[in-house]
Parts: sequence; C-alpha cells; structure tokens
Amino acid sequence: MGETSSVENEFDDWFIESLKIYNNIHEYQLEHPTRVIEWTSEKTICVAGYSSDKNEILELLLPLKLFTDDNQGLCAERDFKVVHGGFSDGSIHCLKHIPGTRCVVTNDGFNSNLQVWDLGGEDCDVIKRTGVLQLKSASSDKGVKIAPGLTGDPCVLHGSQISDIQLTELTSGKPLYSLGKDIPDLLSSLQFVSGSVFLACACNGDLYVGDTRNPSGLQNNPAGGREGVHWCMGVKTDLSSSDPSSCSVARLSSACQVVVSDLRDLRAPLFQAQLHVQRKTTSDDFMKVTWAPALDNCLAVSGFDGMVRIYDTASWRPELMEFQPLFIHRGHMMSDDQFDTSSAVVTTHVWHPSRPRTVLSAAVDGSVHVWDWVDKATASC
Amino acid sequence: MAREVRCKTVEEPSLVALAKTHAATPSFKNKTASGSHLSNVHLCISSSCFLSGAGQDVGRSCILVSIGGKNIMLDCGMHMGFNDDRRFPDFSYITQQGRLTEFLDCVIISHFHLDHCGALPYMSEMVGYDGPIYMTHPTKAICPILLEDFRKITVDKKGETNFFTSQMIKDCMKKVVPLNLHQTVQVDDELEIKAYYAGHVLGAAMVQIKVGSESVVYTGDYNMTPDRHLGAAWIDKCRPDILISESTYATTIRDSKRCRERDFLKKVHETVERGGKVLIPVFALGRAQELCILLETFWERMNMKAPIYFSTGLTEKANHYYKLFITWTNQKIRKTFVQRNMFEFKHIKAFDRSYADNPGPMVVFATPGMLHAGQSLQIFKKWAGNEKNMIIMPGYCVQGTIGHKILNGQKKLEMENRQTVIEIERCEPGCCHLSLEVKLQVEYMSFSAHADAKGIMQLIRMAEPRNMLLVHGEAKKMEFLKDKIEQEFTINCFMPANGETTTVITNPSVPVDISLNLLKREMALGGPLPDPKKPRTMHGTLIMKDNSLRLVSPEQALKELGLNEHQLRFTCRVQLQDPHSDPDTLSRIYTHLKSVLKGYTIQHLPDGTVMVESIVIKVSSSAEEPNTKVLLLSWSYQDEDLGSFLSTLLKKGLPSGLSSM
Repeated sequence: MGETSSVENEFDDWFIESLKIYNNIHEYQLEHPTRVIEWTSEKTICVAGYSSDKNEILELLLPLKLFTDDNQGLCAERDFKVVHGGFSDGSIHCLKHIPGTRCVVTNDGFNSNLQVWDLGGEDCDVIKRTGVLQLKSASSDKGVKIAPGLTGDPCVLHGSQISDIQLTELTSGKPLYSLGKDIPDLLSSLQFVSGSVFLACACNGDLYVGDTRNPSGLQNNPAGGREGVHWCMGVKTDLSSSDPSSCSVARLSSACQVVVSDLRDLRAPLFQAQLHVQRKTTSDDFMKVTWAPALDNCLAVSGFDGMVRIYDTASWRPELMEFQPLFIHRGHMMSDDQFDTSSAVVTTHVWHPSRPRTVLSAAVDGSVHVWDWVDKATASC
Repeated sequence: MAREVRCKTVEEPSLVALAKTHAATPSFKNKTASGSHLSNVHLCISSSCFLSGAGQDVGRSCILVSIGGKNIMLDCGMHMGFNDDRRFPDFSYITQQGRLTEFLDCVIISHFHLDHCGALPYMSEMVGYDGPIYMTHPTKAICPILLEDFRKITVDKKGETNFFTSQMIKDCMKKVVPLNLHQTVQVDDELEIKAYYAGHVLGAAMVQIKVGSESVVYTGDYNMTPDRHLGAAWIDKCRPDILISESTYATTIRDSKRCRERDFLKKVHETVERGGKVLIPVFALGRAQELCILLETFWERMNMKAPIYFSTGLTEKANHYYKLFITWTNQKIRKTFVQRNMFEFKHIKAFDRSYADNPGPMVVFATPGMLHAGQSLQIFKKWAGNEKNMIIMPGYCVQGTIGHKILNGQKKLEMENRQTVIEIERCEPGCCHLSLEVKLQVEYMSFSAHADAKGIMQLIRMAEPRNMLLVHGEAKKMEFLKDKIEQEFTINCFMPANGETTTVITNPSVPVDISLNLLKREMALGGPLPDPKKPRTMHGTLIMKDNSLRLVSPEQALKELGLNEHQLRFTCRVQLQDPHSDPDTLSRIYTHLKSVLKGYTIQHLPDGTVMVESIVIKVSSSAEEPNTKVLLLSWSYQDEDLGSFLSTLLKKGLPSGLSSM
C-alpha cells in the first residue's frame, strides 16, 4: 500500500509539473507498439507494428487542436483519427514516405526486400501493398536502411551495408545507381542532403559522402571509433542552401556521446558532448538522434531509456564534456496503466516540421506522445 | 419455428421503414431417413437488421430489435437539436399497426443521458405504452431528475407546449422495472435480459437480450478505460449472435484522460492565478462529480486558495445518489468510501447567487451544461464582459443554445426575446442586455467517455460475438476496422448505412429430444458410447410438433402420426461370367457369402433364391449365353447399407475355388 502511494505521488508530482513545463501534451495508446513515426503530410503520420507476427500500418491524422493557432480553446478535438490502415505479414523496422506521393516503403529488419505501399485516398481507408522490390544483399539479415529520394521520379536509396547502397526507381524497380565498393561495414543511417548527395553512417561511426551522379566517388571519413560501440546519425539539411556548413551531422554513440560536424569537414568534430544517461536497455536498436527543424542548434536523443532528451548544442565545445539537457520528456515512464518506470524504452521520436518545440515520441508499451514544451527563457520574461 | 433477429433505429422520420424480414423454414442438411448428425443439426435462420444511424451528430438513440418474435425497444432518446416534433422518435410506423403496448414486449434504457431516455415520457404517456420499461437502479433514480429539469427549461422558461408534464414523468417512472447488474430478468417465458456494466456514466449498462438460443447484445454508450469515478465496461463471454456497438469513435485513438484533465487544471490554474473567475457549466450528475474530484485532488498540491463552488440545488441529491450507488463507481472510490466519501469535498462549497458578484478569483460549477437557461446562464451574463474570466464547456452543446453559439466563436449574443423579457422582469436593472459582448475566454473540453477503436476490439474479445454490427459510424471510413475485426475474430462485421437492410445467417444449436428406445437401439448396435463432442450418425424420424423437435424410431413415428408404412425396395442387376448351371451358380454364391458374411442370416431357399437378411438374390441366364449370369438383387430400404455392400461384392465375381455345394 505504502509503495503504491509513493509511486502514485511521483506520478502526481510529474502531473503537476507537466502543467508548467508543457504547453500541450497528448498521450495515446496504440494497440501495438511502433518503432517508426513518419510524416506523410503536414497533418498525418504513419506508425506500424514491429512484432514478429502480423502487423498493422496506420496513417493517423493529428488532432485539429495541434493545428489551430487562433482560438485553440474552442477546439476540443484532441484525438488521433485513423484515416488509413493496412496489414503487413512482417515486422516493420523501417518506414519511409516518398515525398510528393501517397507511397511508403518499408523493410522488416530481417531481409533485404522492400515493401511498397499505397496509403490510399479519400474514397477508401485501406492501405494496400502495391509491390515488393526484391534486392540482393550481402548481410540482409540485418535489414535495410532506406532514404527516400528528394527530387525527380520516386526513388529510394537503400542498403544494409556500405557496399550495397543502391538507388532504385520505385515504379520500375530499376537500379539507378549502385556504389559497388567493397566496404562490408554495416549501415546504420542513410540520408540525402541534396538531390544527389547522400550521407551514410556505418555502425562503427564512419561517415561516407556519396553522389548518385558519380558512382566511383565516395568520400570516407573514419571516425576512429572505439570497438564495440554502435553509432547512428542525424542530419540537418537546408535544401535551399548550398553552403556546406548549413548541413550539420550529429552522430550518437551507444556510449552516449554526441559528435557534431558539418559537410565542410566531417572528420573534425565541431563540438561534442558526453550525455548523462543511465541506459535501461542493452539494445542499440532504438538509438536515435535528430535535429530540430525549426529551432536552432537543438537536437533530440532517445533510445537508451524511457526519456527523450533535448539538447541545445550552442554551448557545446570541441572538447568532450558532459552537458545537461535543455528539456527531458519523462512522459513514457509515467504510464497510466503500469507504474513500471524501469521497462519503458523510447523506440523513436520525430520533430514537428514547423512547430519549433513540438515532438512526437513512441515507446515499447505502445504509447505515442505529442508534446510541446515550454521554453523557460521566454516563459520567465 | 422460423426465427429472426431484426434491429432498427427509430431515428429520422424520413428514414423510417419497415424492416424486411426473411422468415426461413428450418432446412436440415441431412434428411432424417438417410441419417442425420445427432449433435449437429443445422438450422438456417435469417436475421435482418435495419438501422438508421445518426452519424457523428449527437442525435438520439432508439433501436428496435426483433428477436424470436419478440420486439424490444432499446433506448428512447430525445434529439436535443430540435424544438419541434422532430426531437422525439417517430413511432407512427409501429402505432399505425396498433398500440405500442401490443407491439413491444419491453423497453430497455441503457443510461440516463437525454439522448437515450429523453423521449421516454412522451413514448409511454403521450403515444401510450403500458408494458415494462427496464433500467438500472441509478438510471431509474437519476433519469426523472434530468427529465424534470429539462421539462422545466422547455416548458416553464421557453414556454413551449405539447411537451410532457411532471405528472407524466411520474407516471412513466411507475412503469420502470429496475435491473441489477448480471441478474437475468425473465420478461416473459421466452424473453430474458441481463445488464452488464458499461462505464460511461453512473448506472450505464450494456444489455443482453436472449430468446431461446439466440441473443443480441446492445452496448449503448460504453467506456473501456476506468476514470476518476467509474470503472471500465465489462461483459462475459456470452457469444451473442449479434453485438450491436456504438461506433461514433471507432476510428479514433483517444488522447489520454490524464492529458484532458491536465488541460482542464492548467486552464483553471492560469485563470485563477491572474485573478479571473472560472465558470464551468455542467450536467448535475456525471462529469461534474468527476471534475470536482479532480479539482479537490489537486487544489492543495497546486497551492490554490480560490474558492470552488458547486452551484445547484441538485448537489445534495447528486451526492446522495452517488452514495446510494457506490457499487457502480470504480474500485478506488469504493475502497476509500469506508474511510471517506469521495463526494464530500473539502474545498468545494455550496454556491449562493450573491457570490457571483464577489471580487477575486473563484471557480463555479453550475447547471445546466449547455448554458441555455438557469443558473449557469445567469452567471455567464455577469462574467462574460471580463476578459480575465474563463468559461470551460466540458461537453457538447446542441444548436440553438448559448453554449453552442459561444463554442462557435460568436462574440456578440442576441438574447432570445422571450428569455430577455423574463430576465428583465427577474433581474435588477443594469445586469441584462439585449445583446451581450463575450469577452471572457472560452474553452471547449470534451470529457465524454466513449470506447475508441481499441475499446471496440476489447469488447469483441470479451463477448466473442458471432456477428458484429457497428452503428452510428461512417462506413467508408471504417473499411479498415471492418477488415481488422473480420480478420482478427473471423466473424462478419456489418456497418449498415441509413435505411440499409443487413441479413445475418445464424447457426444456433437446436435442441432435439431423442426417445430412450431409439437411443437404446442405437447402443445395442454397438460402436463407441455416445460422446457429446463427436458427431455420430444414427437413424430416426424427426417429428416437429407443438414447438418441439423429437427424434424417435420410425415405428413410433408411424404409430404417433397414424401413418401407414411405405415399403421401399431397391433392385439391382449384376452380370457375372460363371460357366455353371444357374442352380450351381446360386449354390456357389451361397457358399461365397456364407464365408464372407459371418454372423448374418443367410438362407438357400428351395424356390431358387438366396436370402441374406431381407435381401433376395436370384440367378438367371439367357439360352444364347448360358455362361453370362444375371444376378437379381432386391432389398428393402432398411437394409440399404448391406444391399449396397452385396452388389459391390458380387460385381467382383466369384472366387474360382468355390465348390457348388
């Protein structure tokens, strides 16, 4: 009894605290947990299950309340709407929306095939699989990382290791570009930074810059990372700018370090930080670092425990030092149903593309939170 | 014999039509004569459901279910958006065939919301119904209060006529039979109903309706997640033929209760901090109590000093009812009730009209919830001009009410003439305006507790229905949910559009009495002992008489029904090459059968025939081909199995080593 009430107190304390630290917070419970949250339009996201059996892909319409700036009080609509849904036989570890289409491409994390889905239109709420891209891969059992092409015909860049990175046209399945270099390092993150230039981050932390117009040119930037440490990458791109300094790359290690560099020189860290995190999971599966699209110098880190941490990199230095987060979202550890704070692990998070402090995050218990934290600097004055 | 399950909502008058029914006579897969599966008699019954839904509009619920020849009305709601006849369901399609009392076997009300019970006095006292009306104890207690409250507003304030009177409400309530949770109530010899906990509001129930082996479950409004004062809906694995579920929220994933509450507290807190007043118009019972518990719980922790008032004469009554029906609340309230009544608040005090003019911050809960009359409207008029103040609307407001207008962002309100006249007469000069500036902050918050997509799945998992019927939704937007339900539970899911008829084939198990003699005879024939889990073939005659099914021996059936037995014989010719004389061939057949069919009565008769039980075998041949023998076999219908066996055996020819004698 006493134990319960102390947990309940912690729960209530956070609840009271949340009045002050969030402008808005919405908590949803999916039937099955997701490890993907992908924007499919300004107001819709895709989530999907990752169980070994049958899974669902859902396209959700965000509540109206999040999009009404005037008279927000008059809008009571705070629920997600399932606008489209479909069934997948396999697990969904990776899901990417192809810009300008109603198409998403998924991979199950265990083989190299890419599933292509049509999200459906107004007249039907069913998501249908429209094709499979059967691909050869050297280490397919680790699954494939996907990056949607940003310009031209719908295409996807994909690979399971650096050597098998390939650009494939979606409609024909025709390969448009392949790297063809024998670098067996496993791929952890892949992203276009312009119409043809892409960044690839290997699990060992090495960064590669490739250009789909130039199959032979691949620039390697070894991280000199420690053995046994897993790395992933978050990239901030400004497609309107050709200035290489505007493209910031943050690499997150399983040892909870973040190294930031930019396209001018990916070898030398601009600044870095040791994060103060007590890992609650030994798996590196959910590690994620992302740049805020509408907030300068801010990045979000998750995947080590039940929290999402926001850091302001403005104060970071070239030397490795420990820095405190600007904001911590603890919501996933304060579940309504079970007060078990130890098992909660955040599976993924994404930023709202235009609202500076709005983040969506998901956890292993199936919870999905949409939160908008209060900026202490502006709130106090 | 023919049974049907029919559902129909008595909704928009234009949509009212008689449900098409498919009365089917029972058809058995196997004829009795050729042996039927005893434990697996199939009976085809068509069920048609006719529904006209209200979409996402908060309309009224009124569904008619016909099951096994019984007609049951589920809910009798009032449409709050209309001020004329359209607010009540149109019963004329029933009444043009006779009185409601003759047509309906009973009426069941799921909960006390007026869109589910508001037309009850109209139906029973003005249209005329004298049969039983079932509702739970809390609904029975609260329903008349809300009806009277609404009647006062409509008749006394708005001056409407052609509305039910106080006496009618009283007379109507006399027809109510209270329901207890999980108690099976026998409406008549065949019709029984049972209530299950639905969450949603105090006393809300789901109801199972059963006639014979057929059943329908109607959910009403339900909630699968417990809240601060109520528990979650629950039902046992009752496997109804049809589960009729509300699906207004079927495609939503609900934001958590906690975030809704957080928003509410945040708004109240902000307003009080800046010295403003908060008005919360509420229904007297339900959401009000929940929000009171919420404020009470956090007022001290948030270090709040501002007074909270509950402004209604119904406070005591409301608390009285919650105390009375403590078993209907959630576990936490029930548990703490022993030490402290959760509804006796430390921080929340009774309101007096004069307090509204007091300076400084305060929070007031006032009725009615839609701001269409009464105390909440009076307070609103006083506070509306100050932008520091706030009004929080915790529920839906129907068109035409002040609540509805301000939720639509209307900043200048023209008061209804009649209302204004009354107000001018009643109020001191200066506090009333013909038009009112709305400067205070308006917040709309929905606290309604309905099941979302996940909740519907949970309920299906619990009840395991054979068919699912989603009402009040938009079919085009629920194709995925339908697929999901059909795949996950391998059942059919129907989403009838307005005016659409759905036919559901059900396979109820039909009990058949079997005569002891027949059973004994079957036992005597050997084989394994009867196992209820394994179907077994047996012979008998099915008699359908006096609403019962009996399987008896053919002899008994003939005797009972006074019929003569018809003899049915099968004959068959088998050609055989056997270079012997006809009598020798017959002898050889006799010897052969004697060796093959041990334990059967086989006779070689002097008239030149061989008889195996009732089967007669003769041999003939033509003069041209003396070696081509034609065997004539003839047997009675009763020995069909043996006869078929013999003809097959003899077609294979006779073994060569047979002696002729």
